[in-house]
Amino acid sequence: MHETSIVAEVIKIVLAKAREYKISKVNAITAKVGELTGVSPEALSFAFEVFSKGTIAAEAEFKLNTVKASAKCETCEVIFAINHVNKKCPVCHRFCNNILTGYELLIETIEGE
Amino acid sequence: MGEIKVVVKMLEANEELALKNRELLKERGIYLLNMISSPGSGKTSLLEQMIHRLKAKLKMAVIEGDLYTTRDAARIEAQGVPVVQINTQGACHLDSRMIHEALKQLDLAQLELLIIENVGNLVCPAEFDLGEDAKITVLSVTEGNDKPLKYPLIFEKSEVVILNKMDLLYYTNFDLKEFYDDLHAINNQLIVFETSCRSEAGLAELSDWISSKVRISREGDFGKKVVD
Repeated sequence: MHETSIVAEVIKIVLAKAREYKISKVNAITAKVGELTGVSPEALSFAFEVFSKGTIAAEAEFKLNTVKASAKCETCEVIFAINHVNKKCPVCHRFCNNILTGYELLIETIEGE
Repeated sequence: MGEIKVVVKMLEANEELALKNRELLKERGIYLLNMISSPGSGKTSLLEQMIHRLKAKLKMAVIEGDLYTTRDAARIEAQGVPVVQINTQGACHLDSRMIHEALKQLDLAQLELLIIENVGNLVCPAEFDLGEDAKITVLSVTEGNDKPLKYPLIFEKSEVVILNKMDLLYYTNFDLKEFYDDLHAINNQLIVFETSCRSEAGLAELSDWISSKVRISREGDFGKKVVD
């Protein structure tokens, strides 16, 4: 359950940002979770519910947007969808280590009053 | 107030400290390995073997991650190298803060190689950069050859995979071809060592790899010091 550790960090960041922008109640948080991160959005949401209790983010909606995994072939410069076990360029069939997206674990926006 | 654009990495705090650990060790020319596996794959036995083979030529120490016990640390201590125990009290992985604290307990001036034995778990440790130069994942043949497909992230992020308990291969249905096919579909740059702590197969190759990595990293640092 690494999601609990991740959410504990999310809440620290959100509360610090709320203080910085003088927000007294957080209504929504948007975040990006890449497909390759090995982080379960369901487990993140559940952990958020538990960990946010008693904070100014307790009622906030935690919106998670999944980011598709993609890579760019160094030879043909084609951008294509990948997953953990298929990283071959659809054009030249070479294995591609130039991963563009899929490892995101980002807090994007915070909304509050 | 409306929406505030923040764009912060969720694990920013961990990544910042990992970077500090990396810089601290690089300055001192210490090579850091992060050993990861499921429980019972033979990490501690492999470590004992590596210490036995390397301690005469390399100044080394170990950081032992364990949920509750000091058993592994006691085994490493018996090998005559410094060891720092981290008890995570149930937490399923080590993070860069724990390593940062552990580094304070070691005499870094006396070190060339530091090996972390992570908590036995193929899932969570994959997410947390500790500041290591390389991750090594250990898998034993008794666990089955389907593990790379089941836990792809850790194999994706590793530089080395050790396939351990090779002496037991005959007694299992572990399919080596399928294992290598899956592994290379995930990461085509992996270096694999097939080992057995009983027959000692592959251990010389593994310890040679470690000492060559330490030497290369120290030569790089030495070059940098001369330029500075």
